[in-house]
Amino acid sequence: MSKPASSALHQALRKSFQTLENNHKVWKDVLDECSPLIVSLGNLAEQSRALSNVQLSNTPLRIFPDLEERLRFKLLQATDTVLGKLNEKMSSLQSVRDTFSNQVSAVSQLYEQNTSSLDLLTVTERSATFPSVADMLEWLQDAERHFRQQFLRRKTLLQLLTADNLSLLESAPERWKSLESPSAEENIADTLCKVSFFMEAQ
Amino acid sequence: MKSLKLLSVDPSDRGSQRCRLGPGLMAELGLSLGSPLLVTVPGGSCLCTAWPRSDLSEGFLQIDLKCSSPSLISHPPTHLNLDPEQLKPVPCLKLKGVKITVVVQSLDFKKRAPLRLVHELVKDMLKGVYVHEKYVINLEDFDTEIRFVVIEMINMDSATAGLITSKTGVEIAGIQTVRHYMRQLQDQHTAVLGGLDEVSASLKEMLELPLLYPGTLSSVGVSCPRGVLLVGPPGVGKTLLVHRVAGEVGASLVVVRGPEVVGSRPGESEESLRAVFEQARAAAEEGPCVLFLDELDSLCPRRTGSSAPENRLVAQLLTLMDGMNQSDRFLIVGATNRPDSLDPALRRPGRFDREVFIGVPTLQQRKAILSVLCMRMPVCPSVNLAELAQKTTGYVGADLSALCREAAMHAIQENSKGSGNQAVDMKHFQKALKSVRPSCLRSSLGRTDLSPVSWDQIGGLEEVKLKLRQSIEWPMRYPEAFVRLGLRRPRGVLLYGPPGCAKTTLVRAAATSSHCAFLSVSGADLYSPYVGDSEKALAQLFRQARACSPCILFLDEIDSLIGSRSNSQTPNSVQTRLLSVLLNEMDGVGLKMLERRGTEKILQAEGAEENRTQEQLECQEVCNKDVMVVAATNRPDCLDSALLRPGRLDQIMYVPPPDQQSRLAILKVCTTLMPVDADVCLEELVAKTEFYSGADLENLCKEAALLALQEENMEPSSIKHTYFIRSLSKMSPSLSARQIQTYQTLSR
Repeated sequence: MSKPASSALHQALRKSFQTLENNHKVWKDVLDECSPLIVSLGNLAEQSRALSNVQLSNTPLRIFPDLEERLRFKLLQATDTVLGKLNEKMSSLQSVRDTFSNQVSAVSQLYEQNTSSLDLLTVTERSATFPSVADMLEWLQDAERHFRQQFLRRKTLLQLLTADNLSLLESAPERWKSLESPSAEENIADTLCKVSFFMEAQ
Repeated sequence: MKSLKLLSVDPSDRGSQRCRLGPGLMAELGLSLGSPLLVTVPGGSCLCTAWPRSDLSEGFLQIDLKCSSPSLISHPPTHLNLDPEQLKPVPCLKLKGVKITVVVQSLDFKKRAPLRLVHELVKDMLKGVYVHEKYVINLEDFDTEIRFVVIEMINMDSATAGLITSKTGVEIAGIQTVRHYMRQLQDQHTAVLGGLDEVSASLKEMLELPLLYPGTLSSVGVSCPRGVLLVGPPGVGKTLLVHRVAGEVGASLVVVRGPEVVGSRPGESEESLRAVFEQARAAAEEGPCVLFLDELDSLCPRRTGSSAPENRLVAQLLTLMDGMNQSDRFLIVGATNRPDSLDPALRRPGRFDREVFIGVPTLQQRKAILSVLCMRMPVCPSVNLAELAQKTTGYVGADLSALCREAAMHAIQENSKGSGNQAVDMKHFQKALKSVRPSCLRSSLGRTDLSPVSWDQIGGLEEVKLKLRQSIEWPMRYPEAFVRLGLRRPRGVLLYGPPGCAKTTLVRAAATSSHCAFLSVSGADLYSPYVGDSEKALAQLFRQARACSPCILFLDEIDSLIGSRSNSQTPNSVQTRLLSVLLNEMDGVGLKMLERRGTEKILQAEGAEENRTQEQLECQEVCNKDVMVVAATNRPDCLDSALLRPGRLDQIMYVPPPDQQSRLAILKVCTTLMPVDADVCLEELVAKTEFYSGADLENLCKEAALLALQEENMEPSSIKHTYFIRSLSKMSPSLSARQIQTYQTLSR
């Protein structure tokens, strides 16, 4: 058992949890910003549907020339704008994920480099205030997996949305909501609580 | 070392590829956190990363099956005890590249999602996963359309496992749907099929041709056949054949069972039929596909004049089959055992292009089926399958499998009594043969359960016996000799002679000695108050007899059954109509298509040793494919002359009343079971019983025995000579000189 390796690892873990805390906040903020966009996307889809259902020539609006085409163009443009904004949000989510992933892999790498000096007894040693190294690595990985899962699910959903598939667009807000997993979010919050003493011991 | 108890995976670990085990064991195996580990469980193995349990206890194992061999996907291991030796650390390096097949949930996604997107997603999903060649990565935890990834190949010289990083190149070899993939996994273990090689080859060809040579077919400008109708009696393996071929080719199978499609409301049935075709079309986009319409006759009966609801269903099927265009690459296979009741419009090229008849298996095919069936049974080497095949005339595949099952049951019963031998012996098959009868004879008219009679039980008549054996037994026993001399077994044998001279018993003995199927009919079976019914019954009888040929068809008292055209008062009576049916059936133009049996192809024998038996079996089939009619009458003058010509009843045998020697032989046979007193002189009895028939002599013995019982108060020790003489004095012969004279003039 070597002190320097262990303390270096602890240092790296502390840093990672710091990143996790920050990233988690950013992640939540970005997702909060996304939800009105998604709702408006569903709204636009509903409007398009209504437009397809109505016969404009049977309404008093028939005096406006090319009304249907114009309206449809407007709606499409709006949809495109919203999708573009959502994509921007996705890229910020991606950057969050990437930062965190890199952080986690750096920690793992550090551990792997020092496996010779860190035997299993050391890494599984825990106390009332300090979780064991194995536990902390596990939590970091779990959190990383959560970010990856969430990001991929949302990305898949958005990538498959196109302006001409109305039913998919209409159902987008619901599906977006169904992708949330409160339990995993809670887990991350729990993790951060569990390591709070460890973080303060700096 | 202590064995490990396998527990189900913790929900929070799902998708993490972790394998939870005690830290002690980890240290023992030299593992650190997250080291790759190959776990072998019964039925497969999986690759995971070692991780200590959070409670640090030993003796338990929890595996997340993220990367496992394909068989574990459908049957995940549960509640096992594992040996620690089944855990093996594997070195895993970072991979340069992998080649994968992506399995997605819906066909819709496969069509809609661009390859670039799938590639991007899969690459993201696989990052940080340890993979093993030919294993399947389970991506269900991501909850997207992409369900599994099959690792086809990894770019590594020697290792079979490795780690995918962000720098690993991912190449997608193909995209499949989950249904298709699962079916492929299942298809790897299907039942084997014996004796239907040719039919299955032709089916396979039709399935594979358009896939292998799409360019050739389009350049020739022909469309591939797309419909096959399988016709054959029940139990020959039509359904099994289709399942088997689909499994072999790797085609997906859409099965339609008649009653499932038919709905109660008008239009419902047609709709479900359209849905089925749509389903087949969707499946065909991924690979070969077979749409199987089982029991087609119930789905598609002959259309009648009225507006029956079936008519619409038939019309829908016709239009659907016509509406298939070149791009729909699926094969429609229909199966029925009543092709005559199908709508004729179905049976034309463009709909069902080919019709394949699967007949009742021939001897060769039966042997093949039996060998396939016995493959998985512990069968004694003494069991001779060729002999068994010979004895099972008329058995279809289903009957043979029932036979094997029954034989195995007998063997198990015997084992349970204590004679520890596990193998199925020939005697078990013999027992089973008694209880399992061919199903094609089940509903037959003339099926008789005859008590076996050996030739020895018939006294005298040596000449007739010899002739009967010549015409019935020899073709079965020495087929190659018959073929060499260009001989054919006779079509029919007529036995005539005075009543009571053992004509029926002779036939019974013949049936016993040759292992033929034996059908016997009398007037009561055939006659019916409806016009045309009797003829139909007789024709049906012949059809069934042919289905299980070689077969002996016994018509007792043929004179009353079938009239003569010359001296009949009513020229159009039932008898004359029956006669015409009989004449036709015995020497008609040919067989109906449906009754064709076996295939024309002659199998190549493998070695010289095999050759000999093979040849013999072939001869046997050539010789004995007909039905043999045996008729008996005591009024041969009443028979129609057309029936008696060669080619129909060509062997005409006179069964004479017993002469002196025969009578002695008969009396000897009759008294074998009787305690006869020493003073009984059978020769004297013989001398006194001229014009006695065999039946009379049997009666005489019976009377004498009864008299003995009567006289000696039920306790006679033996039957004395006087009783014979006394009972003889009370009897008179049933034959007369004049009667015999008439028969003798006829026989000349």
